Parts: sequence; C-alpha cells; structure tokens
Amino acid sequence: MRRIDALVLLSTFSHSSLVAAKSLPRGVGPEFAKFFETEASFTCIGNPAITLRPSQINDDSCDCPDGSDEPGTSACAYLDPLSPEQPLRDSLTGTTNTTTSLPGFWCANKGHIGSYIPFMYVNDGVCDYELCCDGSEEYAHAGGVQCENRCDAIGKEWRRREDERRKSKEKSAKQRRTLVKEAQELRRTVESRITSLKQELEGLEIKKGDLQKKLEEIERSEKGKVVKTEGQGGKLGVLVGLAKRRVSELRDTLDKVLDQRDDMQDRVEQLEDILRKFREEYNPNFNDEGVKAAVKSWEDYAAGTPAEKSELSDVDIMEVLKEDSEETGINWAEFEEEDAVSDADIVYNLEAYLPAPVRDYIHAKVNLLRIWLIENGVLADNPTSSGESRLVAAARELLESAKSDFSSKTATLEDQERDLEKDYGPDDIFRALKGKCVSSDVGEYEYELCWIDRTAQKSKKGHGNTNMGNFVKIDTELADEEDRADGKGLGKGRRLVLRYDNGQGCWNGPNRRTDVWLACAEKDEVWRVSESEKCVYKMEVGTPAACDDVHEPGVRTKDEL
Amino acid sequence: MLVSSPLSGKWAAYACLASTLCTLFTPAVSVKEHDFKKCHQSGFCKRNRAFADHAIGSSAWKSPYNILPESGSFKDGQFQASILKTIDDDGNTVRLPITVSFLGSGTARVTVDEEKRQKGEIELRHDSKARKERYNEAEQWVIVGGLALDKEAKVAYEDKSQITVKYGPSSKFEAVISFSPFSVDFKRDGSSQVKFNDRGLLNVEHWRPKIEKPAEPEKKEGEESEEGNKEEEKEEPPKGEDESTWWDESFGGNTDTKPRGPESLGLDISFVGYEHVFGIPSHAGPLALKDTRGGEGNYEEPYRLYNADVFEYILDSPMTLYGAIPFMQAHRKDSSVGVFWLNAAETWIDITTHKDSKNPLSLGIGAKKSTQTHWISESGLLDVFVFLGPTPQDLTKKYGELTGTTAMPQEFAIGYHQCRWNYVSDEDVKDVDRKMDKFKIPYDVIWLDIEYTEEKKYFTWDAHSFPDPIGMTKQLDLHGRKLVTIIDPHIKNVDGYQVSKELKEKEFAVKNKEGNTFDGWCWPGSSNWIDAFSPAAREWWASLFKYDAFKGTLANTWIWNDMNEPSVFNGPETTMPKDNLHHGNWEHRDVHNLNGMTFHNATHHAVKSRKPGELQRPFVLTRSFFSGSQRVGAMWTGDNQAAWDHLQASIPMVLSQGISGFPFSGADVGGFFGNPEKDLQTRWYQAGAFYPFFRGHAHIDARRREPYLAGEPYTSIIAAALRLRYSLLPSWYTAFHQAYVDGSPIVKPMFYTHPSEESGLTIDDQFFVGNTGLLVKPVTDQHRDSIDIWIPDDEVYYDYFTYDIIPTTKGKKVILDAPLHKIPLLMQGGRVFARRDRPRRSSTLMKWDDYTLVVTIGRDGKSAEGDLYVDDGESYDFEQGQYIHRKFVFDGTQKISSTDAEGRDVKSIQQGEWMKKMQNVFVDKIVVVGAPGAWANKKEVAVESQGRSWSASLDYSPAANGRAAFAVIKKVGARIGADWNVVLA
Repeated sequence: MRRIDALVLLSTFSHSSLVAAKSLPRGVGPEFAKFFETEASFTCIGNPAITLRPSQINDDSCDCPDGSDEPGTSACAYLDPLSPEQPLRDSLTGTTNTTTSLPGFWCANKGHIGSYIPFMYVNDGVCDYELCCDGSEEYAHAGGVQCENRCDAIGKEWRRREDERRKSKEKSAKQRRTLVKEAQELRRTVESRITSLKQELEGLEIKKGDLQKKLEEIERSEKGKVVKTEGQGGKLGVLVGLAKRRVSELRDTLDKVLDQRDDMQDRVEQLEDILRKFREEYNPNFNDEGVKAAVKSWEDYAAGTPAEKSELSDVDIMEVLKEDSEETGINWAEFEEEDAVSDADIVYNLEAYLPAPVRDYIHAKVNLLRIWLIENGVLADNPTSSGESRLVAAARELLESAKSDFSSKTATLEDQERDLEKDYGPDDIFRALKGKCVSSDVGEYEYELCWIDRTAQKSKKGHGNTNMGNFVKIDTELADEEDRADGKGLGKGRRLVLRYDNGQGCWNGPNRRTDVWLACAEKDEVWRVSESEKCVYKMEVGTPAACDDVHEPGVRTKDEL
Repeated sequence: MLVSSPLSGKWAAYACLASTLCTLFTPAVSVKEHDFKKCHQSGFCKRNRAFADHAIGSSAWKSPYNILPESGSFKDGQFQASILKTIDDDGNTVRLPITVSFLGSGTARVTVDEEKRQKGEIELRHDSKARKERYNEAEQWVIVGGLALDKEAKVAYEDKSQITVKYGPSSKFEAVISFSPFSVDFKRDGSSQVKFNDRGLLNVEHWRPKIEKPAEPEKKEGEESEEGNKEEEKEEPPKGEDESTWWDESFGGNTDTKPRGPESLGLDISFVGYEHVFGIPSHAGPLALKDTRGGEGNYEEPYRLYNADVFEYILDSPMTLYGAIPFMQAHRKDSSVGVFWLNAAETWIDITTHKDSKNPLSLGIGAKKSTQTHWISESGLLDVFVFLGPTPQDLTKKYGELTGTTAMPQEFAIGYHQCRWNYVSDEDVKDVDRKMDKFKIPYDVIWLDIEYTEEKKYFTWDAHSFPDPIGMTKQLDLHGRKLVTIIDPHIKNVDGYQVSKELKEKEFAVKNKEGNTFDGWCWPGSSNWIDAFSPAAREWWASLFKYDAFKGTLANTWIWNDMNEPSVFNGPETTMPKDNLHHGNWEHRDVHNLNGMTFHNATHHAVKSRKPGELQRPFVLTRSFFSGSQRVGAMWTGDNQAAWDHLQASIPMVLSQGISGFPFSGADVGGFFGNPEKDLQTRWYQAGAFYPFFRGHAHIDARRREPYLAGEPYTSIIAAALRLRYSLLPSWYTAFHQAYVDGSPIVKPMFYTHPSEESGLTIDDQFFVGNTGLLVKPVTDQHRDSIDIWIPDDEVYYDYFTYDIIPTTKGKKVILDAPLHKIPLLMQGGRVFARRDRPRRSSTLMKWDDYTLVVTIGRDGKSAEGDLYVDDGESYDFEQGQYIHRKFVFDGTQKISSTDAEGRDVKSIQQGEWMKKMQNVFVDKIVVVGAPGAWANKKEVAVESQGRSWSASLDYSPAANGRAAFAVIKKVGARIGADWNVVLA
C-alpha cells in the first residue's frame, strides 16, 4: 500500500512539475510514466530507434514492435507468443511472437489497490472489477457497456476480508505453533527413545558376548564328560523320531495351507463380489462383446452349483491340527516310553527272557549298573533329549533370547531412525497429526483423511469403505483459485499437497489416488472432495498445519494478477 | 538343445504374451462388426444382391419392368405413366405408377409407387396396425423447396418405345425414358451422364400374401450364410423364389415380424464415364468411395445407411454410422453429376467401377471408366433426384434448394467448445472456465454430458454436484460464454418423474408393434422414446424447455441431442425394432433414418420458442442426422478414438459432410475413447481449428485433458491453434454465410475448388477454407516434421505464418516444414480475407473489435478479391437486412476498395441497434503479402470513405530469404460497414 501511494504521489508530483500539465496517456502504470512525458514525440520503449508522433499513442493501432505505443488499448495485445505468429519487422524475434514492454493496462483503482489488467481485457465489453474496480479499462464502452467505479465498495470489502483473514491467520498461526510444539515433543520422544535403545543395545551386545562365551565353556566341559549316544537308539526309535518330526512338519504345512486357503477364499469372495456388482452395474450399451462375454460367463459360473464343499470340514481339520496328546491323535508319549530304547535298555530287556527270580536279581543289578554308568558319565542321564545336556540347553536358551532381544531392539531403532528421517513437512508438523483422522460428508459419501496414512470413501448406502490412496509423500503445488467468502478455499499461491497413491483399484480404471491440498485454517476440516477424472480425487482440506508462521497482511503480489 | 531350451521357453512366453495381446485387441475390431448386419444378414439386401448377381450373370436377362406406352402422359414438366411388373411365367403383372418430374432448377425426379399398397388393397400379418402404403412422407420432412416444375421442359421425341424430354438451363439436359424394359438415360449436351436401370436391376418387391407351407421350418439365425450360398446356385428368381427372408426375420436375438412382408426397392444407377463417386455420408472411409464387390483394396460389403450407435467404430469401412445422407455425386475432370435417393429406410449401396468397352477405338486415350451403383432400400417409395451439374457448385446448390441449407449459426457456435463426459460439478465447470482465462486460451462453450442430471432424468439437475446451475451459467455469461447440456430422446421410465408421466399419459412415445408404449433400455435403464414425428409430441417437447420448466437454464444455455438414431441398448443393432410404430402408424422401418432429424428438429424448435419475443438462433448439436438436418444445427462424427488414424479419418469425414449439404460438422478433438499422447492432442487441436464445428471431448474413463493440462510446449501450441481459429472467425463466419446462402461446403476438397485438375480429384487430406484461399493440410501422423501438400493451380502460395513464397508447381506436391508447433497453412495469391487479431477470451468479446484485412498478391500483378459477412451473430435481424457484407478488391496495382458485396445501397438501409454500434468498428490495418516492389519507397496511402479523405501510413518490408515482400497499412480508420478506397499515393 505504502509503496503504491508513494508511486502515485511521485507521478502526481512529476506531472505537476510539467508546465503544460499534460496528463499521462491512459493505461500507463506509474513505473512507466517517464516514457510518456515528452510531448514532441514518442520513442518506442523497447525500440528506441522508432519514433512516433504523439497522436499515435493510444490511437488503437499498434505501431511499436514492443507494443509500447498502446498502453491504453488492446491494439497490441496480439504481440504474444500465444497468438498465431506473423512477421513483424523490428521486433526482437522478427515476428509477433515477442515480449512486450508494458505489463498491461494500469487501473489506478483509487480507494483500492492499483493493478495491471491484461491488454486483451481492455475494451472487450466486460467490466473486470476483480482487477479493475474503477472500470477504467472499458472507457470505449464497447457494445454499450458502462463500468461504474466500484473501488470504494470493493476496497472496503477487501480490507474487511483482509482484516478477517489476518485475524484468522493469527489464530491459525497460534494453533500451528502448538502443533509444532507437539511435533517437536514427539520428535524429542523419538530421539530419546533412540538414545535409550542405543544404550540398551550396547548393554545387550556385551551380555550377548558373555553368554556366548559361557555357552562355549559349558559345551566344552560337557563334551569332555559325555559319552554321546547316537541318536535315539534302535530302528523303531529312529522311525518314531522321524515320524514325529514328519507329522509335525505336515501339521505345520497343513496349517499354512489352511491359511492360504482362507486367504484365497477371501479373494474369491472379493472377486465374486466385484463380478456381482459388475453384472449389476455394467452398462449394456457399450455393446462391448468382451464385457458381455465376461458377464455371461460370470452368470454361468454363478449359476453352476458351487463345487461340493470338500468332505473335510474345518472341524476335522482343526482336529488334525491339534497337537498330539493323550486324547487326540497319536499319543507319542506311549511310543516314546515304550521305544525309548537306549543301548542300556537292550541289556535291560534281557529280563524278559529270564525266569522271574533271576529277573528280579538282574533287574536290581542292572539298575545299580545304570546308576553307576550315569554317575560316571558313561551314560547320558536323558538319552531321549536332543543329545544336549540340560546345562548346555539352558545356556543356549539364554543366548538365543539375548540375540532375539538384540535384533528386535535393532529393528525398533531402525524404525525410529527412519521415522526421524521421514519428511513430516515443514517443522515436522505432520508428526503431530499422524494417525489422526478428519472426515466430512459430501453428497452420498463420507470422506476421511487420515494424516500420513490413507484416505477413504465411505458410502452412506453401506457399500463399505473404499481406500482412496495410501500416503506417499508431501509435495507442493501452485493453487489458483478465487477467494471464497467463507475463507474455505485454497486461494492462490503455493500449497502443500499430500499425495496418496495406490488405493483400491477401479474397475476399468487405475488404482484410486488422492491429492490432498492443504490450506491454512483454524481447525482441521475436509472442505470438499472432487473426482475430476475417474478415481483421481482432489481433497481440499483446511488445517493449521498449512499456515504460514510469518505473514504480511495486505500485500498483493504480482502473482495474483 | 539343452542349452537353447530355456531360451525357446522364454520365446514361447513372449509369443504367448503377444498372442494374449492380440486376443485382447482383435476382438475389439471383429466384435463391432458382429453387432451390425452384413448384407447377407439383412434379408432384402441379400435378395437384391442375389437378384443383381442373377441379372448380371445371365446374358438373357431382361428386366421385367415395362412402361405401358398408352398410360404415359406429359404435362407441365411432368411425365406420368404406369410401369407393369411381370411377376410370373403366366404374364401376370402388378402396376407401379411412375412420375418423372422436371424441376425448374434443372433437377429431374423419378418417383415410383405401388398401386395395390397405395390403395390399401393388401392384408397385413399379425393383426398389425401399421399403415399399408409405402412410406410417402419423407418429402414432408426433407424437401423445403425447389419443387416447382420446369414449364419449359418439352417433349423432343416420342413414340411407342420411348419419350425424350429436353429440360434444364437452355434445354441442355435431356431424359430419354425407354419403355420396354423401363430405363432412363439422363444426358447433358447430348451425352449420357446418369442411367437408371441400365443393368436391369430395378426391383420393386410387390405385396403378396404369405402362403403357409406346412413343412418348411422357420428360418433361424446363423443359417443364412449357408442358405446364401445355396441360393446363388438357384435358377431364375421369379420361379421358386427364396422366401426364407420374406417374413419374420431375426438378428441378435430380436425378431422383426415384418407384417407387410417383402417390400424392398432396388435400382441400378450408372454414372457414365465417371471413375469416382463421393458422398453418402456418414462412413469412416476415404472421400472417394470404394468398390464394394470385393477385389483388392475394395470392400466386400455395400455402403450401408442405417443410423446406428456404433460403439468404437472401425475405420476404412462401408459400415453404417450415426447419420445418413443418401446424396451421391460423381466427378470427373470438368464434369459433376449426382443423385439424391430420398428414402428413409435401411439402405445399402453397392459400387463397382468398370472400364467402358463401348468404344474400342479410343483405347489409348479414352479408356474411360464408369461407376455403376446399385441402391437397395427396405421399404418406401422409389424416389430419386438427378442433378446434371456440370460443376460441383451446381450440385451443392441444387441439393441445397431441395433440402435446405445450413442454418446461419450464432457466432459463438463456430468458436471453440470445451466438452467432457463429464464436468462433474458446477464448481468444476467454473474452475475450467477460470483456468481457460488464466492460461489465456479462448473458448466459447462448455458442455455437460449426461451426469449433470439426477439419475439420468433429463430436465433435472443432480442436487449434490450441481446445486447452483444458475450461478454457474451466469459466471459463463460474464465473458459471453455459453453452456450446452445434453438432452436425449429416451425418457427414464420411472415413477415420480413428471416428464415420464406426461409422456406416457399423453401417449407421445414411440409404440411397439402391439401399439403400446415401447419400453427399451438406455442410459437411465428402462426408458421410453419421444415420438418426434408427432406434432402434438413436439409441442409438448417444446414446453419442457421453457425457462420455468427446465429450471436452471438461462438464455445462454443450449442443447446437445445424442443417442437419437435412436440408440436402444437392448434393441436390434442397438436401435429400435423395425416393427415399432410411429405417429400415423408408420413402421419404424419406414422412417428409421429420419428419426434423428425429427428429434433434432423438435429440440431446435423447442429451444427457439423458450420465451416469446426472444429470438435467438438456436444451437443444437446432433449425432444422428438425415438430409435436411443442416437446417436445424450442427453434427459431430460420433464416438471416435484417441488414435492417429482416427484423427486422419476425421478429415475425409468432415469433407464428405461438407459436399453433402451438412457442412457444420466436426470430430471430437483429442478422440473420445482413450488418452491421446500429447503430440496427438496437439496435432488434433491444429486440425480441429479447421473443422467447421470445433469441440474437444473425452470419455468418462479418459484422463482430464483440458488444453491447459497438456503442459509446455503443448499448451502454448494448442493455445496458438485456438487463437488462430479465433482470429480467423470473421472469415469462417463468412464461409458459413456462403453455406447458408447456397449450400456450399465450408471446408472444400480439391475437386470442389479445382474440378479441372484430374490429379486432385480424390485428394481428401487437405482443403480450402471458404473462399479465403487458405489451404490447409493438417498433420495427422506421429513424428512428422514435414508434409507434402498438393498444389491445384498456378497461383502464388505464401506460408501463412512467415509469408515465405512456396516454390510450387501446379498439380504437384510441395514439401513443407511442419514441426509440432506449425500448422501447414498456405495463402493462395489473389485473395482478400478478414481477421480480428486481438486475442480475446471468447468470440462474443471480439464483437466490437476492428478488423485486419489480408491481401495476397496473385501471380503477375493479378487483382485480388474477397468478401466479409458480418451480422449480430445471434438474432434473426440479418433476415431484415441487418448485416454487413463487403466485397474487397485489390486492383492489382495500387487501389484496394470495399463495396457492398450484394450491390445494396447501404445508405438506404434502416440501421438497427447493432448496425449503429458497428459504426464504431473500423478496418485497423491491411496487410499486403507479396506487395509490389513499386511500393518500396511509399510511406503513405490515401484513404477515402464517406466523403472524407485522409492518409494512413504504409510500412513496407522488402523480400528477404524466401519471404515475400509485404506492406502493412496502419490505422486505416475506415468503417467496416462503409464503402472506402485505399489508394497508393
């Protein structure tokens, strides 16, 4: 404002300094006044070699190759890269595809803010009050148009709105600062978690080493002690061992297959749903034989009685899947007991062939022998275990748990570090919003935005939830929209855009995606959602997170022209 | 082997992939053909083709049609007689009244009816309520003038075997009507041009009762092709005729009950000494029609005219499309003739070229070719008009006199139209409107496809997405822009919808064969179709468009009629059953090809009468059309695809529309289905800037593609193409006016402007714009940096953008640079055309801008001339003389002048409001391209107008680097509507 006032003053001053008090030609902006002050002749601004009679200025016919002789008409508007090219002597390019010296027709807009209006809007019979509230660009009354000066009202309204905007901006900025604080807090939490994780990991590293050493020691000492048995003993024993392992493998596999089957069933159901919907909703007009054939075969498929459910019921399978125990499946314990044959047992079994008194005698002797053998380390005390002593197993277990603790903590650390690296926008602001959701009703849908997570569409008619995209990144883009009376709009300028990609696929189309455009507002709110082309959504959202911290009320930049 | 096997496995995988792709794509082509009949699947076409094969194959063939000599009489330019058709070996005959009319315009008309049907002496099957006569009301819909008889026509010779009538301008035309067998030979200056029944293929299927043969089973679909083969082996058709297709006929699961039995018409029409025939749009193929009886490069099928909603139509095909104009022309060097087959039923046309062997002596030079055509229609009268030229202009003019010319459009209608299925909300529309301004791209109209309605109920708005149609439309009006909303002929059959309720209660819908309201399937699901043949229905239709009935519309809301073939999703060939009944109990069969026009016409009149006293020229776009549709609006070529070959095909299609009397045409820019690459989109805009109707459109599944989304450099190039169109609007409007006056095409193929240049007769990828001498050849191939353009004459040609003189040779092609940003556009020497150079946001906002005139100096200081027509661009005041029509002449040396083009005394015209305002509109500058060297030192010219004189400056640029010298006269300052002279001092 001040700058412009100054310029207006300046030009007024320079005018009055001219004795002839000749006013500036129409449409000349303050910064170009100096080119139009001499009376005798006019020199094209960009082509000083070309001199014109003053009467040629604003005579509605273009003479200067840079258009500078027509500051107040549209006669030179065709000097523009977008107009069909024609030869033009003395222009920079030799053609009409050239740049002009003047930015536009200057509307002083007294009572509001002066601005340039494109030359092509001059005398076209339309009052472009947004740019030229004083109506001065329609001085020729093309087609009879009368553009009154509306600057007082427009200026007043603009100032009121500007004031409102400023106040709202201040409030929003405050909100934002709170958010930033939260975000910083969250960041600090992550950072301190990282620090503590790192410390813990260091401790664990040492512990792990100790345990490793311990295990090795025990192993060494045990090895010296133990006369190892070879496996589980007799052939039957080996078989039982193998069988048991095999059964448990099979059970695991069955378990996995079952999971897979369930997944597939889910997918089939989804597909059938899609096809059912497709059949109901497809457009028979398209006469697309491909589509028709697909629908037909779907109908055939759907009409066919679903293949007899396999005789195996889930209950049966679950039964199979149960761990073997005394009640279900094979009672391995029985076999194991019977067949837990060790070398010593062979001796032991001799009993069976002996008469009872001898048997009793030998039984007692063998027991004694067995105890002796164990005590002397000749026989392992538990021949059916994996062949490790309990001591070793315990040491190994400790080590393993230390290892897994270590790796899970490492993973957590990496997660946290990644999170710290991740782009949460300026000032890390979206860290404060992450995981929170906002939603709004638009037509027959409710739309939901979950910050840094996903966007979704919920039908009120109950077709469920549709994922409209998963968060990918934070971007910026240039918005160019008119201000809305309620302030709930993107306005003009660079805006944050959150990209959500790869949502649920569209039939006959791409995966859904959403661009979430953010504009400054006092609270989080989904303003509107539009689907400008199939399955590509634009969500306009107000949030304090998108506010500028620094603001200069009242400055209109040239961008906004 | 072991080593190579994984490789071959991989190759196998590739092959597999390739074949998968193939199966993905090929059905897309073959499928559409399945949906529509081939000749052998259309009983009457099959019968007539077989009839032709029999006649041509047998040397003893004698046409069984004879004029009873004593029945003939000639009076007041009209010959009337009876043709007797011998129908069996016993010599029994049926009587076919024939009228040959000689019209004042020099056009002849041959009409044949069938007495029994005419008198209603027949019985219909299935208790049908249908009319018994052959359909005789096509004339009421199509013909608007030119029927006055030629009182000067006189009998030059007459005896028991023939009558010869001389008629036409200076009695240069002659019709020799032979009686036995019946034939007509139309001659000009004594030599044959057009012959009827020369090959004896005339066939009027007379009424006969069905004799039930107990043993014969009903014909089923799919058996026909085998039957067809058998049939060819059969002997004489009259005896033991194949009745398999006479009665009920099925296709695609629909059965046509054909209550009147077989009633088709066939006639051979030969164009003697003409190798090329043109016209009969709409088909996606070359401008010069191809042979249709097989052979290399030819079609196997006849050209078909049966308006249909052809989904993803295929190119280079005689298949039917959305509209039909049964007007065919034949051109050879310096001679043009034509026929107009006035019949609205399903029609097939076989074309064969054949070498004339009549004069073996003239082998070397004169081994001329003739084109023989065979016209086959399912029902109705035989009613044919014959035009004997001799120029292409004579044909379009005479045809225009009969069927009417292009309605003078509102000027906005020839600006750019931005369309998409769909702009999704009023906010979306407003946003596009703002963005176009932001990117400085001019446009005039934005369109709404079906999604704006509430559940496809026309005359309603979807409340969620279009809560404020008035606000939206007012925003458009701020910059003089318009809204077009779609209204289709199918009305959703649903409770609680007032339009549907009224349609059914008032019985204004098309009826099924039982006489009950017909119900079919279209966008809204179950629907009924308004019967626009009924005057009462049309009146009711008009009431629906009143501003207080169709709420949300304003004076700048216009209409788009789609699906009016009509498209019926579950009907035979996606249209209506032929045994449906229209107003007057005419079967749909009789009127099918008229249907689209009647609906378009109803909407045109509805929009015109929205408010008493508000007389704006309506804008209504149609997809389906017939001869006469040009009087009520514009057409587009339907649902094309975003592919280079579709861009290519659009040019002959638009040219064909132009020479066939319906020049206000265009193709969807960018292609309807699919997503165009950026360069394709750009090239399409450059081509579209030269379609008379210029609209960008896209399918709902296509990505957004408003010009500003293309990105650089594309957006700028597209904007420049659009601005080129806008700057030339004065010339386009002048060309439209010419079309309105005399039926001229707006874009003109080479044969039309240069009929003496043999080598240009079949060129269909370049054209002139009106009478501007602007010659354009749009680039329609990818990766092309140059293009060859054929030069029709000895004139000088200048590059439009650089003024370079193109080194041309008459009858040869010249190669031009055509990088992506460049449109190959030349200016022919010897012309004057008008532009408005100031870029504006819409055509309305250019209304008061000054003009630039471009004078292109011709060869050897020849004079140059051109014209400019201007009116208010919206009302009918031009009919009261409220227009400016100037003729500009450069005398070849030093004077450029403007006079009234029609020699009116301009001063005597009472000036209305618009004329008064035009007093403030001037000639700004005159650009003289190829300015004479003698002007080099001139700085001034003298301007004289309205009794005053002054001087204007002249800026001369000498020739350089291949560029012609040019001069710019600045600030001419003469009123555009006044007489003036600019003289080199």
